[in-house]
Amino acid sequence: MMAASPAVKIVEKRRLVPVAVAVGGPGPAGEADFLRQAGVTGMLREALLTVLEARPEEPVAFLADYFEKLALSRAEETGGDEPGSPARQQRLDRAIWYLRLAHYSQRTAFHNNVSIAYECLSGGVKKKRPGLNGRIYSEVLRRICREGAASEEIISLLLKKIQCRDYEAVPYDLFRYSTLTCFVLLEFISKADSLYHVLDDSGQADKRVCQAVLDTLGEAIMASDLCVPTSYLEAGSKLRPDCLALAMDKALLTRRPSSFMSRREFLSEAAVLFLTKVKPIN
Amino acid sequence: MSPERLSLPGEQYLAQRHVLTYIEDAVSQLLVNKEEVCQYGIARFFTEYFTSVHQGTHVLFREINFIQATPHNRASFLRNFWKCFRTIGKNGDLLTVKEYHCLLQMLCPDFPLDLTQKAARIVLMDDAMDCLMSFSDFLFAFQIQFYYSEFLESAAAIYQDLLTGKNPNTVVVPTSSSGQHRQRSTLSECSLQDGVDAPLFHQCLESLCERYKQSCPPPALIGEVLSSVQRLTFYGFLMVLSKHQGINKAIGALPERGKLLEDTTMDKTLENLVAQMSENSVSSPATGPLTVQLRALPCISSPRKPLQHRPRTDLESDGSTEETDSSEN
Repeated sequence: MMAASPAVKIVEKRRLVPVAVAVGGPGPAGEADFLRQAGVTGMLREALLTVLEARPEEPVAFLADYFEKLALSRAEETGGDEPGSPARQQRLDRAIWYLRLAHYSQRTAFHNNVSIAYECLSGGVKKKRPGLNGRIYSEVLRRICREGAASEEIISLLLKKIQCRDYEAVPYDLFRYSTLTCFVLLEFISKADSLYHVLDDSGQADKRVCQAVLDTLGEAIMASDLCVPTSYLEAGSKLRPDCLALAMDKALLTRRPSSFMSRREFLSEAAVLFLTKVKPIN
Repeated sequence: MSPERLSLPGEQYLAQRHVLTYIEDAVSQLLVNKEEVCQYGIARFFTEYFTSVHQGTHVLFREINFIQATPHNRASFLRNFWKCFRTIGKNGDLLTVKEYHCLLQMLCPDFPLDLTQKAARIVLMDDAMDCLMSFSDFLFAFQIQFYYSEFLESAAAIYQDLLTGKNPNTVVVPTSSSGQHRQRSTLSECSLQDGVDAPLFHQCLESLCERYKQSCPPPALIGEVLSSVQRLTFYGFLMVLSKHQGINKAIGALPERGKLLEDTTMDKTLENLVAQMSENSVSSPATGPLTVQLRALPCISSPRKPLQHRPRTDLESDGSTEETDSSEN
């Protein structure tokens, strides 16, 4: 209701001023000048570029959100930048919003957004040197993971590897590396979740089969190595259907009245496999 | 996620979702309200504009050209019309074409009369145009006519061609075409044989659907409607479309027919109001609003049935296809 009322107000005004666009205006040239001077042209150009980068399913809702954020950040800029927590919280929200705008597989768009997020996080401390400190950095990472519904233990395992100390300055490359890692981890967990869903067909997933799948997955992950491109082919071949089926079959053959593996357990085991490949930062 | 949108060229993506239509409109609205917007903040103006587009309130009191510009606008207009005037259906009032047209003009001042009339023709099966119609009958007929108006225009032309024995799309005409000539000349008999051959009509509409892509009823549902009969008249066809639940769902503007008059939140507030007012009325004499509320009360609690607005004499008049010519104006 709150959001609707100003819109209604505008609508009311529209009724009073009928269709004609150029009403009382100094003609099309004057209007173009006005739009440029008021910054409308630039604002819309940026908005359109952002839409094209993110390609949202519902561009109208996306634009509404985009302009709301923009209005907020303008109000923040003009309203002074005290280190009080609401402003800081808003910066954080905005940064995370930017980070989520585009999926990381859309490389250019994602990198662009990461750099905007970095700028908007580090721009806050105007009195001191600009830069991002370890505390905000950890908070951002933690929030990304939480919103992606990763469990607390996985989050703390991840942070142990890529956390900085609260007072340390965080360079851009590190920020990009860590946020990307978070997003990839979240996707990995959701894939692992659907994998578990398949194993869990009868309502309870057999522990041995799960273990076999996890072992195969682990072997594949271990085999991959950034420096040896062919290792990715090897990793892929380890996960090819017959190979995986063989492992699962073997696990089923030795089946005794075995126990079951819970979804939580499966996910955290899978996440641990992923985390072994995350390079710790120093 | 529909990955298709990620691979489209930028311009096509924007066109498909009518982004530029809204941006252009936003700018022209901004120019109209220049002075206020400058004080208010441009980003905030855009926020509100796009929020209202998202919520569908942006078409209120706008000109018909804008309302018809995108499918979303059309659906929003239908939804607004329903929300604003559903009390008419609740009270069971029956209105004429002219009265419905007045209601439409309250939401869109330059709403064209012929669109309202075309919708009424669907309800009245192109006969006795001054008859009264129930709100829900009119609404669903109006929905089809308004949302798919261009498609229906073309479909009507095809129908006319078939009726006069012309071959609209170089489709192979079955041997029955000579029979259509005969029927055309004996229209006044009004037998059940009236109309055109359904499979042939279907064939023509299929190619039409390909041309209209997104602004036509789902082809599968058209097939479903047309495969259940051998022959049909144009208004018979439109009538079935307007009552089709699947098509209503595909448009997505209105709830299903049974739930058209339900509005739990509004009913609750009404009931609360009534309760409050009857408490107050002990101390103060009954005022105007109170009596109005009390009158509405029985309607709220009674089960609502769509009113049968007129006896089913339509069947006899089905074949007055002579009149369909006027639907092309």
